[in-house]
Amino acid sequence: MALIQYSEFTKRRKNIWRNLILFLAVLGPGIITGSVDNDAGGITTYSIAGAMYGYNLLWTMIPAFIVLVVVQEMNARMGIVSGKGLADLIRENAGVKITFFIFVGLLIADIGNTTTEFAGVAGSMQVFNISKYLSVPISAVLVWWLVVKGTYKFSERVFLIFSAFLLVYVVSAIMGKPHWHDIGQAMIKPDIKYNKEYLAVVIGIIGTTIAPWMQFYMQSAVIEKGLKITDYKYTLWDVIIGSVITVVVAFFIIIACASTLHIKGIAINEAKDAAMALKPIAGDLASITFAFGLFVASIFSATILPVATAFYVCEAFGFEAGIDKKWKEAPQFYWLFTFIIILGAAIILIPNAPLILITLWSQVANGLLLPVVLLCMILLVNNKEVMGEYVNKTWQNVIGWATIIILIGLSVTLLVSSFF
Amino acid sequence: MTSQITFYLSQITGCKIYDVNGTRLGKVMDIIVNTNQPGPSHEEAFRPVIVGLKTKINGDIRYLNFEFIKIESKLRGFSFVCYQTDFLPDSIVDNCLPLVKNILDRQIVDINGRKLVRVNDIRLVSIASGTYAIAVDIGTEGLFRRMGVADLVNNVLSLVKLNLPTRYILWDDVEAFDSSNFNIKLAYSTNKLQRLHPSDLADIIEEMGSKSRTKVFESLDEEKAADVLEEMEPYAQAQIIESLSIGKAADVLEKMPADEVADLFDELEDETVELLLNEMEKESSEEVRELLEYEDKEVGSLMTTDYLSFREDMTIEETLNELRIQKPEADMIYSLFITDTEEKLIATVSLRDLVISLPTMTLSEIMNTDIICVKDEDKIDTLGSIISKYDLLAIPVTDAENTLMGMVVIDDIVEDLMYKGKTKKGGRSWR
Repeated sequence: MALIQYSEFTKRRKNIWRNLILFLAVLGPGIITGSVDNDAGGITTYSIAGAMYGYNLLWTMIPAFIVLVVVQEMNARMGIVSGKGLADLIRENAGVKITFFIFVGLLIADIGNTTTEFAGVAGSMQVFNISKYLSVPISAVLVWWLVVKGTYKFSERVFLIFSAFLLVYVVSAIMGKPHWHDIGQAMIKPDIKYNKEYLAVVIGIIGTTIAPWMQFYMQSAVIEKGLKITDYKYTLWDVIIGSVITVVVAFFIIIACASTLHIKGIAINEAKDAAMALKPIAGDLASITFAFGLFVASIFSATILPVATAFYVCEAFGFEAGIDKKWKEAPQFYWLFTFIIILGAAIILIPNAPLILITLWSQVANGLLLPVVLLCMILLVNNKEVMGEYVNKTWQNVIGWATIIILIGLSVTLLVSSFF
Repeated sequence: MTSQITFYLSQITGCKIYDVNGTRLGKVMDIIVNTNQPGPSHEEAFRPVIVGLKTKINGDIRYLNFEFIKIESKLRGFSFVCYQTDFLPDSIVDNCLPLVKNILDRQIVDINGRKLVRVNDIRLVSIASGTYAIAVDIGTEGLFRRMGVADLVNNVLSLVKLNLPTRYILWDDVEAFDSSNFNIKLAYSTNKLQRLHPSDLADIIEEMGSKSRTKVFESLDEEKAADVLEEMEPYAQAQIIESLSIGKAADVLEKMPADEVADLFDELEDETVELLLNEMEKESSEEVRELLEYEDKEVGSLMTTDYLSFREDMTIEETLNELRIQKPEADMIYSLFITDTEEKLIATVSLRDLVISLPTMTLSEIMNTDIICVKDEDKIDTLGSIISKYDLLAIPVTDAENTLMGMVVIDDIVEDLMYKGKTKKGGRSWR
């Protein structure tokens, strides 16, 4: 009897699309995190790398991909199993002092990062001959409005469309007529150089791919989705796809600059320089798509960064937070968010603002923070009281610790080298 | 010594413990308190008494009996003097709550504020009868005190006539849940959470970590659990149900309206649903199975099969007596239906008409045969306009042959309209 009922019952519910629908429902956190990763700072780093060393640095995409997957998988697993944000877990297990250090650092680094994003907005709009005194205030208001007045469903849709827009870099790259043979060569048999400048760029690429705040974002996004341990296999794919997007976009940015700027020997300092320089070499379309991609990426990250930062800081210190709350219910959260946006946008509007110094210092803050956050993470993910049976397995720990030690090594090197 | 000493947990962790000769025994690592309420006496606010100090002596973790320990306030902080070195046995330690490990920095439920708050510090008082934890500190001052700069910051702020905001909640008004020896505690404490409205409790449980979520939920009685589950978001419902044993889950689901259960089942794996349906009582599971047959956008998927129907020849008195026996829920009682022997819908009766009519009249004299009803396979979109046009609290649902299948209540329609394409409420992230 039970068997007959079962088959009747499943006839209605089970169909070939069910797995696909489940997968699509789970999609999001990894892909959005992966896309925010290619922010203004990232695009700048990749452009400079491509212009300076041509296809030579393409090999870095492989370790960058591995690192991304390893770290974000841990975040996703922690989020699903504990149901708590990374900020929560750090506060509960490491106490107030370490939490305070991490979040003050995160706040400083993210104000710096937000400034970089608005610099990206200003730069990309200059390519279209729009003054920064117009573009930056308008985008700041837009970003503020989207978060304070918009609903989550609407925001997520906007974000996912943004992610898709980043694929315009593929167009930019192809317009530059790349040499696929050389690209293959550079990936398989990298010609690694051993000098200071080369090392700095390598560190820059890996460092921009894995920023401390992303770990917090990823874990909260997983929780917000309400994912269960039965969804884990889909989440793993979400993480992998997100990481692939990150790496593919970066890959094509490097190619776009390598096959044009590097060959002509044009050096650049900013991502907008790349967009400008592409015009005479690869044509208007390549230049416009490059600038458009920069604009989209900058707005995207300028939306997520300030609100995410405000959220984690409030979460860690026990203030009410969340955009589903009203301004009166969560005043600290909204004021902090508004403060970060205003400060970030205002710095760009100061004539002759010391942008390079700001970028340097936010990189220093990121570099100091990353080892601490990663250490907290791997200790938490091995904590039986937090993770139960889902603690890291031996092979996960081997990969995890190796990744973390290398990242810490790179961060320290970057930190030291930025002072010399 | 008759005077009382008040202090904070953060001020005494790390303080030195001496014996009577002034020899150092160790440092305070944690404080364990007895949270078992001595009895149901509600004359005085309950405060847990300190039972022991956790410390490390010669490399071993020991719990010193607090009965033989006195706290001394010195110029710089506090110290403890131990008159008799008595170690507590595991049987006592296991039944106590370690404050640093399980309360400090954790989230607790603020019963009066109906939300989760984070504990920055704990205020304790030492009086002649013992030392007690009296309140948790959730204010900003507590946060700065933990970093050792509260006085400094307050001094600076006092220059501009400000000070750090302080907030305390009495121990009686909080509920801790985030601890490993949680089950021991719950024996006495469940009633504090039971005091909350199911809707508030649902919001709070949604914000908890997954482990505490399950534990808190398991501690509720089945009726309350069903009410709370009903108020939760679908994803949270699914997480809870999957974390419970099949037996317990089925017991809770039986107490919920069939339409809510059917919605919840859409979130679960087929295998789990089948296990639950087989475990549930036949009556409940069959109703749910019927509802599961409907497509998402059909009225049938939104309707409840809990409704009241009567025969037209019943008197008002008989009907009212029947209602007294059945004790239906509030949303069922306002709309009553009249069916014939084949369960075909022939009329509706409102509770108002029933109450104001003479007991001896029959239902056929007061019933309303101009029925507004929908078919079970109609689209849900049509309900909103019908209900507002005719000012109804519920619409009867029939099949193609006019057999009464159930009804859709206004609450469910409003909910459906509200969450159409809108953000989820609650949740813990920034969104």
